[in-house]
This record gives sequence, C-alpha cells and structure tokens, in this order.
Amino acid sequence: MMLAALFLVTQVAVQDPRLERLDPDTRAAVVAVVDSAHGVGLPVEPIIQRALEGVTKGAAGARIVAAVRRLTVDLGTARTALGTSASEAELEAGVAALRAGATPDVLANLRDVRRPPLTVALSVLADLVASGVPADSAAAAVLVLAPKARDADLVEFRRAVERDIALGAPPAAATSVRVNVADVYSATNSGATPNPATRSRRPRP
Amino acid sequence: MFEREDETVERVIQHLRRPVAIDPGLDARVMREIAQAPPQRRRVKPLWPLLAAAAVLATMLVVRPWNWNAANTSDTLQFVLVAPQAASVALVGDFNDWDPARSPMRTAHGVWATVVRLAPGRYRYAFLVNGVEWRADPSAPAAKDDEFGTPSSVVTVGGRGT
Repeated sequence: MMLAALFLVTQVAVQDPRLERLDPDTRAAVVAVVDSAHGVGLPVEPIIQRALEGVTKGAAGARIVAAVRRLTVDLGTARTALGTSASEAELEAGVAALRAGATPDVLANLRDVRRPPLTVALSVLADLVASGVPADSAAAAVLVLAPKARDADLVEFRRAVERDIALGAPPAAATSVRVNVADVYSATNSGATPNPATRSRRPRP
Repeated sequence: MFEREDETVERVIQHLRRPVAIDPGLDARVMREIAQAPPQRRRVKPLWPLLAAAAVLATMLVVRPWNWNAANTSDTLQFVLVAPQAASVALVGDFNDWDPARSPMRTAHGVWATVVRLAPGRYRYAFLVNGVEWRADPSAPAAKDDEFGTPSSVVTVGGRGT
C-alpha cells in the first residue's frame, strides 16, 4: 500500500509535462524536489513555476535546482509559522515576507491578529521592504494595521508609502507617518477607536 | 361596391345570435365515453433531475471551486508596458508557466497591453521584449528575490476588495 502511494506521489511530478522544458539532469533534480515537497504536504505549483521561470530566463541548471530547493525550504518555514491551514497563496506570500527580512515570529503574530487570508498583508510587508523600508519597520507597520485594515486599505497604505519615498521621504519615516494615518482611517471606518498600540509599536523613524 | 361597416357588423351579430341546433343525445354520448375511458395510470415523477442535482452538488463539494475562507474571487488585471521601439512584447509569469507564447501583448502607438484573469495570490512576472530583453514592470513592486539575474515584478491579487 505504501509503495503504491509512493509510486503515485512520484508519478504526480513525473507526469507534469511542463517540466519537460528542463534538460534531463535538471528535470530529474527538480522532480526529486517536487516529490519531496509533495510528500510533506507542501504546495508544488510554486516550485514548478520557479523552475519554469529559470528555464525561460535561460538560467543554468544548477542555479534552477538551487532556487527550487531554497524555495522548498522557505515554504516549509512559512508553513510552520502560518500553520498547516495556510493556503498556497499565503505560503508564497509568507516566503516573500521571510525573504524580505520578516522573522517567522512576525508571520505567526500576523496569523494571530488577522483573519485569513493573509496573502495581501504578507505581500504588502514584502513590497514595503522592496521599496526600501527597513524590514522591522515594515513588519511593525503591518502588524499595527492588520487587525482592522481591509486588504484594499493595506494596498493603499503601501502605495502611499511608495509615493512618499518617491518624493524624497526617508522610507522608515514615511512608513511611520502613514501607519498613523491609516490606523485612524481604519478605526474611523470600523467605528472603533484607533489602535492604542500604534504609538508604542509604530515603526522606528 | 363595398357594403358599409355598420352593415357588416350587424350581419355578424345576427349570425352569432342564431340558435344552434345541438343533438339531444350528445350529453349522453359524452358521459358514456367518459365512463368507459380506462383509468389513468398514476404518473411517477422522474427521479433523474434529483439525481443530477445530487451529482452536481457532490462534485462541487469534492472539487470545491470556491474557498470560503479565501473569498476566492478572480480579478481581471491589465498589464501595460510603454516600449515604442519594441517589435514584440510578451507577458510571462507564474500565471502562464513563464511561456512567452501564452500572453502576447498588443500595441497601440508603442503602448503594449494585455489583460489576464488571476485568482487570489502573489505572482512574479516580467516583460520579454523582442524575445531577448527582460524588463520589470515600472508600475509594480519589484521582486526582491531575483535568483536568475533578470528583473521581475510582483502582483498580489487579494480576496477582499483589492
């Protein structure tokens, strides 16, 4: 029975025709990674997509294999932090947040304070860091806003910070100012009082 | 010539008022036919609509094309790149298997655009110009973890009104 299950698991990856775009050696290595991920219940589609990105961009096989291995490890870390019920999209966004510099504790805290899905909140965190905001400032800002802000509010917050940075504001200061504005706005919309923790937890300028 | 309209109407009225001769035995014959008719078989409602509905419901429960938690609604996004000198531009990313043939872009005066429908998630993508040159989307966040040496961008589709 277990052998049959193992065979079935192997076939899942082997039969994916998209991986035929890889050269045989790279494909064998990627299939092994995909099988391993599938075996522990991690989503395999992000891994396949990363391999396809590599082959389309003309990357060397070794580089592609390294990328998919690293992604698999990070997906596992994200799942540990976000919980086994996290969706594939949340795990991918969690990987982006981790790579941006957020710690697994930040991901776990976010899971505790915000109703799922966490995809947008995690992505905003990663995108803020990509815009130059220090990782700890970005994480603190998202954690402050996460309990009440809608996804659209978080996206607007990120855009506002990016605009301020483009106009010359220091990234951390832009984040600090905008998080207060967004917190008051969210509280006004929800009928609640602004988060009392905003002052104490707001990002350091 | 033609008769007047009033005369026509009057003739029709007269015709309708004329007594109709009915066979006195008609009622008896009709009642006899009814009495001799075979008893109607009780119609059984076919079960197949119920079975079909049950099958559809079971399929939906197994496949779950929705996700209650994620509010899994797709978004239609337009991707645009201004590249007046380009001969071709393709959109490639996690949503089309990084296949340049899947999402070719159309141009109008150097503004290249295409529309893609995406389910909630975070996607990496890039523009492939003239089949050789990789460009990130200047209007989107950059993908920070670029492991293949060329720029990429990210787009996030949320499930709650993004």
